[in-house]
Amino acid sequence: MKKQNYDVVIIGAGPNGLICAAYLARTGLKTALLERRHETGGGLDTLEFGGFKFNPHAVYHLMAEVMPAFSDLNLKSRGLRYIFPEVQAAYLTEDMPPLILYHDPLKTIAHISRRFSAREGEKYACMYADFKAYSEKILMPLTYVPPIPAMDQFLLLEKSGDETGRRFNAIAELTPLEILNHYDFQEPLKAALLNLFTMWGLSPVEAIGYLFPLYVFRMTNAALCVGGSHRLSSALHKSVVQAGGTILDTSEVVRVKTAGGKAVGVVLADGSEIDAKAVVSTLDPKQSFLDFFGKDELPEHVVESARRWNWEKITFFGVHAALREMPRYRAAATETDAGRAMITFLGIRDTDQLLDHLEELENGKLPGELLGHITCASCFDRLQAFEDCHTGRWECLVPFDCDWEHIKDDYAAQCLATWRRYAPNLEPLHTLAYPPTYIEKKLKNMVRGSFKHGAYLPLQMGYFRPNDACSRTYTPLEGYYVCGASVYPGGMILGGGGYIGANIIAEDFGVKKTWEEPEMIKRAREAGFISK
Amino acid sequence: MADYDVIIIGGGINGLACAAYLAKAGLKTLVLEARGQCGTHCDTSEPGIPGFLHNLHATWLISAVSPAMTDLELEKFGLEWRATRYAFGKTFADGTNVLIGNNPADTLVNWQKHSQADAALIEKALAFMLPRMADLMEAMHTWIYTAPALEKERALGALFEDFLRSLGLAARFEDLLKMNGFEILDLMYQSEHIKTTIQALSWLAGFPPIHPRVGTLGAAVFGNFTGPLFPVHTAKGGSHGLTHALVKAALSYGVTILPCCPVKRILVRNNTAEAVVLSEDAVYPNEIFTARRIVSNLTVVPTFIRLVGEEHLPVDLARRIKGFCYDNQNIIVVNYALDQAPQFRSAGFDPGIQKTFMGYFGGDTTRSMQGIMQGIHRKTIHDEIIVNWYVPTLADPSQAPAGCHVVNTWLDVPPEPTAWKGAALTAGFEVWDKLKYTLADEIDGAWERHAPGFTGHIKERIIYSPLDQFRNNPSAVLGTWAGGSMIPEQFYENRPVPGVLKGGGSRTFIDKLYLSNSVHVFGNTLLSSGYMTACEVAEDAGVRDQSWWQAKAFNWYVENAARIPAAGKE
Repeated sequence: MKKQNYDVVIIGAGPNGLICAAYLARTGLKTALLERRHETGGGLDTLEFGGFKFNPHAVYHLMAEVMPAFSDLNLKSRGLRYIFPEVQAAYLTEDMPPLILYHDPLKTIAHISRRFSAREGEKYACMYADFKAYSEKILMPLTYVPPIPAMDQFLLLEKSGDETGRRFNAIAELTPLEILNHYDFQEPLKAALLNLFTMWGLSPVEAIGYLFPLYVFRMTNAALCVGGSHRLSSALHKSVVQAGGTILDTSEVVRVKTAGGKAVGVVLADGSEIDAKAVVSTLDPKQSFLDFFGKDELPEHVVESARRWNWEKITFFGVHAALREMPRYRAAATETDAGRAMITFLGIRDTDQLLDHLEELENGKLPGELLGHITCASCFDRLQAFEDCHTGRWECLVPFDCDWEHIKDDYAAQCLATWRRYAPNLEPLHTLAYPPTYIEKKLKNMVRGSFKHGAYLPLQMGYFRPNDACSRTYTPLEGYYVCGASVYPGGMILGGGGYIGANIIAEDFGVKKTWEEPEMIKRAREAGFISK
Repeated sequence: MADYDVIIIGGGINGLACAAYLAKAGLKTLVLEARGQCGTHCDTSEPGIPGFLHNLHATWLISAVSPAMTDLELEKFGLEWRATRYAFGKTFADGTNVLIGNNPADTLVNWQKHSQADAALIEKALAFMLPRMADLMEAMHTWIYTAPALEKERALGALFEDFLRSLGLAARFEDLLKMNGFEILDLMYQSEHIKTTIQALSWLAGFPPIHPRVGTLGAAVFGNFTGPLFPVHTAKGGSHGLTHALVKAALSYGVTILPCCPVKRILVRNNTAEAVVLSEDAVYPNEIFTARRIVSNLTVVPTFIRLVGEEHLPVDLARRIKGFCYDNQNIIVVNYALDQAPQFRSAGFDPGIQKTFMGYFGGDTTRSMQGIMQGIHRKTIHDEIIVNWYVPTLADPSQAPAGCHVVNTWLDVPPEPTAWKGAALTAGFEVWDKLKYTLADEIDGAWERHAPGFTGHIKERIIYSPLDQFRNNPSAVLGTWAGGSMIPEQFYENRPVPGVLKGGGSRTFIDKLYLSNSVHVFGNTLLSSGYMTACEVAEDAGVRDQSWWQAKAFNWYVENAARIPAAGKE
């Protein structure tokens, strides 16, 4: 077998691997990106079948044009465009008036004022302004720089001349539910806002509330990728190849080679070897720290943190449908906008119901009530379905441990029946049931359907993701780096890990960066939220 | 000042190959693809259980014979071929099989069980061909990879005449061309099993033996030389592996590829193509790109009727284009995810069938093979299930989870059937959304008869009808896989319809507009129309003379065949 040699070998061609590879190839480093599957993109997956596009994994891109890679890698000129639907979310029930969240906060405020009261609209305006400030000034810039210990971060925010830091500190220790209580929303608005967070399987009662403002702000500014989610990975793929990087698919890594206490390359499943000065894993802790190494090659505390890694308890069940026509929701008869949302949430009535639902899920039970949400990307993007047809995606939270092999089709039928109660014209040409076991089967990182490569728990977040020795990309093993979704800042197509990884690796190699720090980070540094 | 030297509409494998050649030759080249993914008919998809990769369109890849292997250095871009020991196998109801090996010695052993005379013919063929390999390759290169011309076909014919003479058969090529594929095989072979095997190969290679000339050449060329000369490959990771290599090659040579960019118009002024306009749904809505030359990889009707517009066509030509026939190479595909490979009943006769990733069953007699082909012309679905099948995982296990397999089954059907099993069908093309399930059940049953226990190992079934294929790619009118029917009126120098092409294999009657689909040879994985178009565009642009652009067809394959992994080869 021919021996290959690179400066950097990156394992895993998901969004973070692609971003990391594209930036590094641009510095002139000889870069190879290895992918186990036949297709690159990881969770940025668009299945094209019979004229219909299905996005079985990531679909709403929270950071869309905000992520540094979008401008640095000229993704717009490489075929990437985002659509920001005017109606971001509609909450439908069978007997209450719909609740609508718009891309334009003024429209949301007007709707809430009409639907509830002017007072309620003011509360929303106040919350939105707070969350926007926390997100734009603090949370978004911090997504793209390496983390520091929580207390250090707290002190930076506390000492800043911009009082947003102190205000953010005041809520950062709260749970999402406590933050919502602080604003004192009525039902079902409270449940609807909480759901923008819990729909990702995130706990309403854990102390990761500091993320809550970011989710509410970004989930009301979320975007769809024209042509489907895979277009983002395709544009990144082009960036890598055109910068001179090498992408090898159907190339599974089974070992990281070490010599003299350094990572020096990888071994592939077919026995071939690739040498490299730096090895980067974007995979989950189990593969990155356990499977790729022999005994004693990594410090015990790193190995132990990987052994104790917590996967998410709650995962997704999806149904993807090719539809003859767009779903016509009953609710749209009285409120047109209820029928043209990017995400249509069904059946959420109040916070207690939502909490009960989440508790059942936490306990590993299939919920008694189906609370699904639907996206018909083809309503905004005609490229996603043939002629006048449409493509629809149902998704709901489920536990992983069910006999999915046997129940998936029945469960999909129940999901469709529930959906049809709201949209009686629903008539699929064909459907694809996508149980959580498929998530794990397709993407080996997502053990037990853990689509964020591990639970968002306080001890697995921030400076502790994946552990306090590896959250800043480098690891205790010289030449070995980690920057996937199991590393700070986490999953969800933030484009954070790969960007931070590329910065740190470029600095370690001493090569000149071809990109500048984004304005939002510069501003956060000036405000003192990030150390100079 | 034009935006690009060349714009290529359609990022299928021929469009990509064409673009890569032209960019490598220094032209500023843009590829516009309507779908998200390039390589529409060279696709590998996971539409069901993850890990089971289904090659929804082309599965038999034959691009290893293309000059692009060398010129574009496709291996450097990650392309790896995989084969099985045998290239093709037909399994029969009587429990026997006919196998065609990549190595003729394997074929000989199998054929001796059927007919000593037919087996002896292989030896005579080898004795004839081996000293003339260079001539044969040259004639094939000329016929497949350059613009149609009757004298080129005559050169191929002269070789074939000599070949027949060496077998003791005196027949003039002109006379042979009046025959159909069935008749020429009757001349050469004795065993009915062997004849139907070659009929099947000729048909699935795109040359229905039922037609004079088309079928004769198909049987004579593809039918007889598949294996040693025309390889049966899958790419590592599936058919899309070929697309991946072409995309990376094109990008590396400087091509701009824009997916999700359907074209709604080719702007023509004074009978000259000047620009393209993207559709309002495109990722860049209504964008106009100008170019010195424009290549359409869409088939002939969408290219001229939809994109150019009838107002730019002579009335008579527009009428002929609209009459272009799309209803002869249309298939319903049933893809299976299996927890073990099919266990053929005929393995008892010759176990080599288990080391064969492409094959056929049904149509045990010439009469029944003729029956299904006649049915297509009568627009009826044939009663007997006669299919070709692929088990690509025998050649490349990476296309399914460990120990599991995928099987693709192709059944030729009339796309607008009017009858099946004596009952009338009235829904036309729309019939497929319902009919596909019933027909797939029949195909399950046929599998069970030829490979007992098959249905018990099905984990999932993915059905892909001609309508699904059309919706996936509306340039493939009626779901055609060949860019339009392979019938005598649309064959070789007549393709697509007389009057469209001018002076070559892709230059059209509209100045600066080239057609690279619905042309000779037809849609397949030879990369021939892309190559031919690249040659003509480069000639016209004055950049054809390149030191790296020298390879002939078959060179790479003949030189490298021995190192391509072939499962089951000792």
